[in-house]
Amino acid sequence: MAEEQEKAKRKTATEAAGRIGGMVKSAIGGAAKAKQAGKKTAYTFISSSYDEIIRAMDIVPVWTENYAGICGVKRDVNRFLERAESLGLSRSLCTYALCGLGFDHMREELGGMPPNAPWGGQTRPDMMLSSGQILCDPRNKWYQAAQQFMPDVPVYNVDLPWPLYEDNVEVADVASYYIKHIMEELHGLIDFLEKQTGKKMDYDRLGEIVALSERTWDLIWNTYELRRAVPTPMDTGDAMNTMVPMVFMMGTQEAYDFYLDLHRELTERIARKEGVVEDEKYRLLWGGGLPSWFALNDFNYFNSKGAVFPAETTYRMIEPIDRLNIPKTSDPVERLAWRWLRYWTYWYDKAKKRPGSEPDVERLIQYIEDYKIDGIVMHEAFSCRTWHLGLIWQLNQLKKIYRPIPILSLGKKVGREHPSLILESDIVDMSSYSEVETRSKIDAFIETLESLKAANEVS
Amino acid sequence: MTENKASCPQYYFAGIDIGSTMTKAVIVNGGVVCSVIGATGPEQRRLAGDVMREALDKAGLGFDDISYLVATGYGRINVPFADRQITEISCHAKGVSSLFPQARTIIDIGGQDVKGIKINAQGKPLDFVMNDKCAAGTGRFLEVIAGTLGLALGDLGKTAAESNNPARISSLCTVFAAQEVASRLSEGTSLGDLVAGIHHSVAERILRTVSRLSLEREVVVTGGGAKNGHLVKTLGDKLGYELLVPPEPLATGAIGAALLGKDRFMNALPGLHSTPAGQLPARPRNWGEVTFFS
Repeated sequence: MAEEQEKAKRKTATEAAGRIGGMVKSAIGGAAKAKQAGKKTAYTFISSSYDEIIRAMDIVPVWTENYAGICGVKRDVNRFLERAESLGLSRSLCTYALCGLGFDHMREELGGMPPNAPWGGQTRPDMMLSSGQILCDPRNKWYQAAQQFMPDVPVYNVDLPWPLYEDNVEVADVASYYIKHIMEELHGLIDFLEKQTGKKMDYDRLGEIVALSERTWDLIWNTYELRRAVPTPMDTGDAMNTMVPMVFMMGTQEAYDFYLDLHRELTERIARKEGVVEDEKYRLLWGGGLPSWFALNDFNYFNSKGAVFPAETTYRMIEPIDRLNIPKTSDPVERLAWRWLRYWTYWYDKAKKRPGSEPDVERLIQYIEDYKIDGIVMHEAFSCRTWHLGLIWQLNQLKKIYRPIPILSLGKKVGREHPSLILESDIVDMSSYSEVETRSKIDAFIETLESLKAANEVS
Repeated sequence: MTENKASCPQYYFAGIDIGSTMTKAVIVNGGVVCSVIGATGPEQRRLAGDVMREALDKAGLGFDDISYLVATGYGRINVPFADRQITEISCHAKGVSSLFPQARTIIDIGGQDVKGIKINAQGKPLDFVMNDKCAAGTGRFLEVIAGTLGLALGDLGKTAAESNNPARISSLCTVFAAQEVASRLSEGTSLGDLVAGIHHSVAERILRTVSRLSLEREVVVTGGGAKNGHLVKTLGDKLGYELLVPPEPLATGAIGAALLGKDRFMNALPGLHSTPAGQLPARPRNWGEVTFFS
């Protein structure tokens, strides 16, 4: 049962962000209807470079991380976490995985959706497409564990590596090896899907979907760049909604159209000088970490102090396509492989030019400069090790290699310090969260920004 | 405090710091007039008001004599008699800077959290870190260990100072460390060595928390942990230089709160500087119960 009440709805700055809840609800319900209509459904992970492939095969994705996040937003996650714990799984594992496994176990035991499951529940899949890669280690094991209580559902694991950053290794020297491997993996997936669906891949259609995705990548990039405006017309609070089409609907016309609308809306807001807050005082960078889905109102709390987030590294999973220098090819699978490799190694060359830097740190620096950032906020989620472990290290490196540089502003020398705040909690496990402590930290951070600003104005 | 005592002798400003274990009230005008420290506890919701009243009595002042009152600390949010709430980060910065103008880093070892604060020459915070998720490295850790060993909290430092061979305590978790201490004691490790080992463990934990700030000298230690001389020495030994400790390390947050209130009052009302004492309108205050986020 939903033992926790959903918090008051977070206020969104943009109309587009306000529409996302309905879109997600419709996608979750749509998967159930599609299954009833005889379509194949698959459990899927985000950022697995197979979005276009499953769309081309008419497979309906059931995004398991997304559903765990929805349970978090609805504050109805404990019963699923507790069920997973009762199966002997530690609470310190990925809580998305625990929530999903607990939910699946309950659904399989009941032979139907758990009572009052958020937004109707997560549809039983016909297959599970796991994705072994550097980004997130539980992906290899989550669906294997789920198979214990869904033994009839096959799992296919796609291995999608990219070379780790080493300042003495050129990606170009190893790229052909990686491309060959990634293409083999994607073709292996296509073979698997053909067997499951009983139909052949239409490569022309795949090519069209890949092209649509890439137009969407560019459109998202251009749209998010509008947030450089002062005051910013949209911040990370909304971006945690507007990431949905980017992450869960890539390769669909609906995603493209959504960002067209968002682009139009942001352009209009900028023309009206309409910011996220009336009096924008501090511009912050969400420098990493998934948010606490049950505490998205914290973004409104920042806003209430005049602080906005014009940029975030989380869920900005696109770069302008032409900058990725993808070799010309008419093979959509090869195109996907190159896009994957080039996206994950995009910041390597920049990092090599700054001694002591690393790609993730370089990205922070770029956003600090592009978006006129005053301070950095990160969220360390205890159960998401792969993504969150390096955050403090990134801040330390940033402070070492990107020292405050006095800059001239209206003839005055202004310091460029970037204080940072690390919030500590989890993605969906509310037991790790204290609103009082979190907001106390935010208050202290705002006071620090305020005193820095005052000191800079005096100097 | 490096205050100009003649700057505002007729006005009084108060700071109240409601921490997780102790409540501190300070009244200042040119300098500190008086300070009172009492325990915070769930059954003592009225204590904040009581501590404030005691401070007023001690200073021979009435409610209406306080021109501005700032609340800080864990319980600052719902102090009905305060004019403003300011976080302990800003208040510690201000309070420490008034006592040690050369201070650039503060390590505050509280009852249930540890903070590191970088400050500038004006006593403004530049950056901070907090550990409020884990009792290791906090006063609570020392309390638990003292309880396990049957020692008074105040005797831990003295006991540790007797050791020449601190034991290595490997557990980071408070609960596991208490178990490890009990087990080592039964194995024959001396009390002094064990307690000294605990001090090393706590000091390492604190330094790991605050190291993200790149500590700059002078470093001032505040909070209840600063009352443990051996802990401060251990921290200093690990850093390789001597650390500074205020005369009353529990009171810096409340001092800072009072001084920030004073700044705010004096800046907002410059015309009042020449108003004779006693001619300001009385400030009605609500001495209702502090509600502690309920």
